[in-house]
Amino acid sequence: MTNGKDRIAEAKRSSGAYGCVECGKCVAVCPMAEMYTNFSIEMSPRGIIKKTLTGNDIILDENIWYCTECNAGTDVCPQGVSCRDLIRYLKEIAIEKYAVKDIKYCTRCGKQFLSIPVKNFVFGRLKEEPPNVLNILELCPSCRREMYMLRNA
Amino acid sequence: MQEQVTEKNNIITLEDLRPRREEKKTFSDYFMPRRHSGILFDPKKCTGCGTCEMVCSLRNVSKIAPASASIEVLRDEENGKNFAILCQHCRKPLCIEACPTRAIEKGEDGIVWINKLFCVECGLCIMACPEAAPLRDPITEEVNKCDLCEGDPLCVEYCPAGALTFTKGKKIRWIKGLRWSVQTISFLLLAVILVGTFCSLKAGALSLSCPAGILQNIASSGTIVLVWILSAFLILGLTILAGRFFCGWICPFGFFLDLVDKITPKKIGWPSFLKSRMAKYGILAGAVGGSCAFGFQAFCPVCPIGSICRSYGATGTLNGANLGIMAVLAGLEVGEWRVWCRYFCPVGALLALFAKIGLIKIVIGANQCKKFSCIQCAEVCPMGIIDADKLREGISPVIRMTECITCMRCIDRCPYGAAKLRFRWQKAVPGNIEL
Repeated sequence: MTNGKDRIAEAKRSSGAYGCVECGKCVAVCPMAEMYTNFSIEMSPRGIIKKTLTGNDIILDENIWYCTECNAGTDVCPQGVSCRDLIRYLKEIAIEKYAVKDIKYCTRCGKQFLSIPVKNFVFGRLKEEPPNVLNILELCPSCRREMYMLRNA
Repeated sequence: MQEQVTEKNNIITLEDLRPRREEKKTFSDYFMPRRHSGILFDPKKCTGCGTCEMVCSLRNVSKIAPASASIEVLRDEENGKNFAILCQHCRKPLCIEACPTRAIEKGEDGIVWINKLFCVECGLCIMACPEAAPLRDPITEEVNKCDLCEGDPLCVEYCPAGALTFTKGKKIRWIKGLRWSVQTISFLLLAVILVGTFCSLKAGALSLSCPAGILQNIASSGTIVLVWILSAFLILGLTILAGRFFCGWICPFGFFLDLVDKITPKKIGWPSFLKSRMAKYGILAGAVGGSCAFGFQAFCPVCPIGSICRSYGATGTLNGANLGIMAVLAGLEVGEWRVWCRYFCPVGALLALFAKIGLIKIVIGANQCKKFSCIQCAEVCPMGIIDADKLREGISPVIRMTECITCMRCIDRCPYGAAKLRFRWQKAVPGNIEL
């Protein structure tokens, strides 16, 4: 088992974070700006990459849990930095090393499938739906498909 | 455009860039509403071969790669069951609400599709879909969702077992057309041609009467005439055979309320302290008791069915007082659909007593009901007796035939054939689903 710092260094290497030129294109296309009212430089992909390259406490930072792991930033990056991969690695390390509260577990199979801020956003958009539908949304997608099959097949 | 932006302190929201398309109801939506287009899946026929996945991926990524298809076949090897997960093209899609970049659109043809120009592959549509129908390609991480191949689905074409069928566009619902024509004809007959005839009609040896009127007659005069009972028995017999068929298909006032409802499709709700369905039995008892006490038919002068029959005089004049009753009760329609029929109508109350021992029933099987979010049957029910919450939970709702007016709107509307007309003794509601 490699220690945390090595894992982070590997994450930085494999996602190409060292190549970041801080152009901010990823921030311009990031859907989080639309999703959260408290969107800030710390939450943006550029901020997270910068903090990863400079500081050490990135894993305990709650800002990485706001990311939806979409492809927008990776798509536009001129340097080929994959902010999605970087944040995904950071989340993996955080889940392995610490007991993380920011993650949503499936109520049926127990799999972790969504971070709490993203879940809050989805449920906030759907707050007019009846509670029965929202209960279904507590399940992970594969469980939902299975429930749908058990229900109808 | 530039000036508008500066007024808002330079903050451009998604509302400015990609405003939501507003739903427009056209003339034809009211008279020939669309059955929502989509693919229907029959699990009994599916063999789990996966041809649908293959042809779908051939269209999506130009190669045979079932993982990048927009349809997924789940195979339950233990029980020998197969099931295809595919987008149902909901009427109110949750994915559109959840998408942060508004990449998902519902076109005028009812097809919900992902605009790849705006999609950032965040996967929130998967999280918002009750069936998790948008599928993520595990290699490229693209989100694929069925767009019905723009109206000609390949999977339907190539399915060797015929388990997938495509329904689309406008479909004339024959029950709906039949009901409206029967209602129109009976309205013209009862209210215009044979004026005032619903209450009592004598044509030679044949005589017809309103059953509630006969009951009041008996109460007020204290005598029972056999002809009266026989003449009332036509409608009562019809009720025993076909439920409150009269209310849904023949009653001229019901037809009038259905027409009013076309003008006021939005309902503001009805106060809960007036929501007792037992009130109509009270009014019936009051009418009979009042007739007994006063010696004349107590309710008939204000009966809306009678007043709609009497409002058009034989000489071609319109009766003001009767029209006034109709106008007041039509005003109640802004609260709920068919308020009078639901809560107050004593004629309906008498028919409900006979419908209780009727021969038919309407069942809605949760097993056949394929969707968590469709619930169109509960929306179109004019009496509001279908429990949408139970249906969402997977429990087949019990439909009280005393309240059901057998208009068969639910049967007509259900795209999955879950609502059915059954005889009383036939097998009851298909089993519930444990969620």
